Amino acid sequence: MHLDPFELHRPVSIEEAVRLAQELAPGFDYLAGGTDLLPNYKMHLNLRPHLIALDQVPELQGHDLDRIGAMARLADLDSDREISTHYPGLAQAVHGVATPLVRASGTVGGNLLVETRCFFFNQSLFWRASLGYCLKADGDRCYVVPQKEKCYATFSGDLAPALEVLGAEVDLAGPDGNRRLPLEDLYNAEGDGIQRHHLRPGELVVAVQLPPDARRRRSAYLKLRPRPSFDFPELGVAVALERDGNSLAALEIAVGGLETYPRRFRSITDGFVGGSLSGDRIADLARAVQGAVRPVHNTAYPPDYRKRMTGVFVRRAVTSLWEGREAS
Amino acid sequence: MATTPERDLRLLGGSIPYIEGPLKVSGRAEYTDDLKRPGMLVGKLLRAPWAHARLVRVDTTKARAMPGVFAVLKGEKYPTPFGVLPITRDETAIAVDRSRYIGDIIAAVAAQDELTAERALAAVEVEIEPLPEYADPRVGRERVDAPIHEKGLNHSNLQKEVVQHFGDVDAAFRAAAATVRVRASFAGVTHAFTEPQCTIAEATPDGRLTVWSSTQVPHYLHRSLSEVLGMPMHRIRVVKPEVGGGFGGKSDPLPHEIACAALALETGRPVKILFDRDEVFYTNHGRHPTHNDVRIAADAEGHLLGYDIEALIEGGAWSSFGTVTTYYNGVMAMGPYRLPSFRYKGQRVFTNRPPSGAMRAHGGTNIRYSVEVGLDELAEKLQLDPFELRSRNALPPNSTTINEFRVTSTSFRKCLDVVRERSGWADKWRRLPYGQGVGLGCGFYISGSASPIHFTPKMPQCTVHLKADMDGGITVHSMQADIGQGSNTLLAAIVAEVIGVSLDRVHVSPVDSDITPVDIGSYSSRVTFMMGNAARKAAEGLRDRLIEATHQLTGYPREAIRVRHERYEVEHRPEVGATYLEALHQALEGTGALQSTGSYTSPPVGGSFKGARAGTAPAYSFAAYVAQVTVDDETGVYDVEKVWAAFDCGRPLNRLAVEGQIQGSIHMGLGQFMGESMDYRGTRLMNPSLLDYKIIMPHQMPEIECLLVGADDPEGPFGAKEAGEGPLVATLPAAANALYDAIGVRFYDLPVTPDRVLKGLDRRRAESRLWKGH
Amino acid sequence: MTTQRVLRLSINGQPVEVPSPPERILLDLLREDLNLTGTKRGCDLGTCGCCTVLLDGRPTLSCLTLAALSEGKAITTIEGVSSGTNLHPVQKAFVEHGATQCGFCTPGFVLSAVALLRDHPRASRVEVVDAISGNLCRCTGYTKIIEAILAARPGGSG
Repeated sequence: MHLDPFELHRPVSIEEAVRLAQELAPGFDYLAGGTDLLPNYKMHLNLRPHLIALDQVPELQGHDLDRIGAMARLADLDSDREISTHYPGLAQAVHGVATPLVRASGTVGGNLLVETRCFFFNQSLFWRASLGYCLKADGDRCYVVPQKEKCYATFSGDLAPALEVLGAEVDLAGPDGNRRLPLEDLYNAEGDGIQRHHLRPGELVVAVQLPPDARRRRSAYLKLRPRPSFDFPELGVAVALERDGNSLAALEIAVGGLETYPRRFRSITDGFVGGSLSGDRIADLARAVQGAVRPVHNTAYPPDYRKRMTGVFVRRAVTSLWEGREAS
Repeated sequence: MATTPERDLRLLGGSIPYIEGPLKVSGRAEYTDDLKRPGMLVGKLLRAPWAHARLVRVDTTKARAMPGVFAVLKGEKYPTPFGVLPITRDETAIAVDRSRYIGDIIAAVAAQDELTAERALAAVEVEIEPLPEYADPRVGRERVDAPIHEKGLNHSNLQKEVVQHFGDVDAAFRAAAATVRVRASFAGVTHAFTEPQCTIAEATPDGRLTVWSSTQVPHYLHRSLSEVLGMPMHRIRVVKPEVGGGFGGKSDPLPHEIACAALALETGRPVKILFDRDEVFYTNHGRHPTHNDVRIAADAEGHLLGYDIEALIEGGAWSSFGTVTTYYNGVMAMGPYRLPSFRYKGQRVFTNRPPSGAMRAHGGTNIRYSVEVGLDELAEKLQLDPFELRSRNALPPNSTTINEFRVTSTSFRKCLDVVRERSGWADKWRRLPYGQGVGLGCGFYISGSASPIHFTPKMPQCTVHLKADMDGGITVHSMQADIGQGSNTLLAAIVAEVIGVSLDRVHVSPVDSDITPVDIGSYSSRVTFMMGNAARKAAEGLRDRLIEATHQLTGYPREAIRVRHERYEVEHRPEVGATYLEALHQALEGTGALQSTGSYTSPPVGGSFKGARAGTAPAYSFAAYVAQVTVDDETGVYDVEKVWAAFDCGRPLNRLAVEGQIQGSIHMGLGQFMGESMDYRGTRLMNPSLLDYKIIMPHQMPEIECLLVGADDPEGPFGAKEAGEGPLVATLPAAANALYDAIGVRFYDLPVTPDRVLKGLDRRRAESRLWKGH
Repeated sequence: MTTQRVLRLSINGQPVEVPSPPERILLDLLREDLNLTGTKRGCDLGTCGCCTVLLDGRPTLSCLTLAALSEGKAITTIEGVSSGTNLHPVQKAFVEHGATQCGFCTPGFVLSAVALLRDHPRASRVEVVDAISGNLCRCTGYTKIIEAILAARPGGSG
């Protein structure tokens, strides 16, 4: 399989990258690790004539406990004991991404913005042509939920839920300048597999910022998938909590792999903060989260199973963290 | 002729590292795609995006006119049908008049590069008339509007129907104290070898055609090329480079191989066709999606009285090995137990989906699953330990089955005894806590079909040539296809063993039809047994020449001369003799290079009724496996922690290879059990990728204890039988029966994914049936 | 067609210059332009690991790497693992333990294992399994591959 010809640009600063983006918009893609974009390009999914590679932009590199550059390699986070000590949920999420080979090239920014997935989208040109193209690439209809308005492709990143529950923010840079957003606000909570985030044209993710209290939180990320490597999440449950004596001081839950964006459950979790947790309370919590998610049939496992597992994973993760055990 | 004493083997019986290993670990082994020819073009195939269509017009004019395009072929130029079975030749190199599944080849292009070839494919204009699509084998058995093949029985999509009845099954069921019935369904699975198919073809002005291809069956490819292209075989040369796995997926001559040769003839240039991974999935020829219905009758003591079996297997678009598969889905239930009555109805139905064919443990895997799960249920009904039930029914050595299979050696009883002991069965079965369990599954498999797929003329199953020259090296020529199973190593080791030389003296020639004598290929687990016997005979011929030479040198009688390591010496007078080289040089005097031939023809076995030859073999392998599992009953996720694999392959000639085959078979069997599935929506394959087709990962592999318990087979080379396919079949039922022991749920639909485990638990709970107190 | 540029790459310690368009994939460059065919093409989509090479020492999918972005990095292919015809200890262990069957996935496994044992000479079984979990093998059931890598640790598997 070859790639169709494109122009490759290699800016050496954010300013240059953004300027290029402004010039080339909308005919470009940013290229980070390439492990998501290049397979999609090989399958002729939404090709652009220009690629802006970000590998030579120094401001995007590197990570520490407070700041993770968008071009930080997943493998570098994976082998960092500081990360696993202070952010165990994040470490679980990182380690769960694809394979060691993918993590060697794959980046944090790339995983945050990993293309939403669907088995009507992630197919060869031949396959898609034989069915008729879908909304998300070259077509005008959805085959998952047959209609012509909305794309149901599934958010399949592992890192976003794990970072959101730590209260992470993202630094963005674009033609209109820099801004900082809570990570969860990066994603389109209207639910659209195509317009999946709120990045403005030409804008890129510079870094993830972690607040100081993130280190105080107990956290976990539980991933459902057919195989312990390679597979994207069929469900990814991230939980972070703080326990103050017998009181739940903070609780954050984010769930990926089910809908078009990582789901949050403030209206549910807020009701639990301040009180104590018992087996029954945790079961109520889990049931409520499970009841709120709406997976569709576009991944390996059936949606009813993924929904049911949401409850199980939430219960297991919250129970372990509440009791001060590692969740798995 | 003296035979080599079996007791005193130097090499065979030990662990012999693969002779090509150093080349493979260093990236120096050459697979077809590693080869380049001067002026080579890129071949690409236009594949049908419709499931079933009449090709009204295929217009290649525009494509052919594009710069850089050297040829565009459509089906009508080479319409002769071919197929691996002479009786069901129904594939064409390129579709003629009609395309039959999404992925069927409708045109072929040769161009200067990949991009140009793809653009040319896009420029081929095709006008079609859609035909009714058939996706469900259950509905195509009656008369249909537009049968997928003209030859379908009664204007239907039924490709083959087999009906067999031995003994009196109805009487058996009337007399039975207990009966069980298992109705099961099995998703199709595919070989998923790591090397995508690749073929290079080159036609030269001397009137010859050379084809390099990733194939398990170079000889069948040779014949098919000749038939379809209308060229005599002697002008075609077939070369098999290293093959990156086959498992049956490269055991048919395949359309792209012939299309590639046609492009080479058309252009006069070498042409390479390399598959993209999705093309590997469309080409398939994998295990048939299957529905079977197995009824088992037994008396009160657990003696089996009869089986009544129906199987419906989905053939996809072509016949391939399907006629054989249709038989195998019945007769592979014939062992490893004594059976007084047997009735079988098998049907294979065409659909507009990728063709099914032969895959490791061909025809035996799914039926053995249903039988072995059924026996577990029967044991429970009769309140017998599953081992006891099997032990009471084990086929004895030197017996004949009711359908007249000749069974010579079997160590099945010993397999049962050893695996029961080693697995700690007595302390575990029904005694482990809820969520943990052990299960027993058993199997047998043919050690090569005694009734080979032969076109005319009748020839041996295989022939091996040896050449020894003054350099002291021995070159072995054989068309047996090493596809990674280690047959080159075995070939070299047998020769070295018999002649008494170091392994490094023996060089196995690459498969090349100009040089290597015919062997019909690596399938049906025939190579060790058949090639092994042929190699042994060839080596004995050479050895006898060296004994003769030693006799000439020493004056001692031939009968007194013994083969030692690199030396031929007189018994009881070890100081008298000749080194191998001295003997060889003596033997060369006046003749030059020595040559020797050995061949193998299987003995006449089997009955004389219609279909009697299906499943006959000169020997059978036997297996008894215990699997241990742990189940998470909230998620349905389970872990197969350990498999104890007792296997009778006669004498294991290369332990490394036998263990490798068992481990690989368990991997593939568990893959089919746990998650592998060709997922279709209607006629459309949803997961033609290695990401979405779920081969299991190292974390999911159980610890495996290989228990090689076989006794020498009387006809196998040095007592050996097959170990390539039999090790797979026992895996699946052992896991299923272990799941039952763990959670009290039976599984009748494969693969057993976690969501299905959970559904099974839900059903059990809904019935308020407790298991181990839960 | 886009313009070609001469890429300056370091492959197995040897500087090479290869004219290449920007969309050239490293795997294609190795196999097609440089005839380094030890790096295998199994799926082209990052889902099998047959094309693994070391990029600055790190096992990487060459099928998902743009050749142009490999400039300035040390590329090691399977051809660079052995020195001349002398096999690396990992390669020897693969041979001795029967960790190759068809051999098509083998170069990828060897490179993943070489990198693991370089960084973690005392790697545990769990770490070995983890390190090879991006490489698919369809023949061996991984068993003998894991055994070979454990045995290739300095001091062997004992």
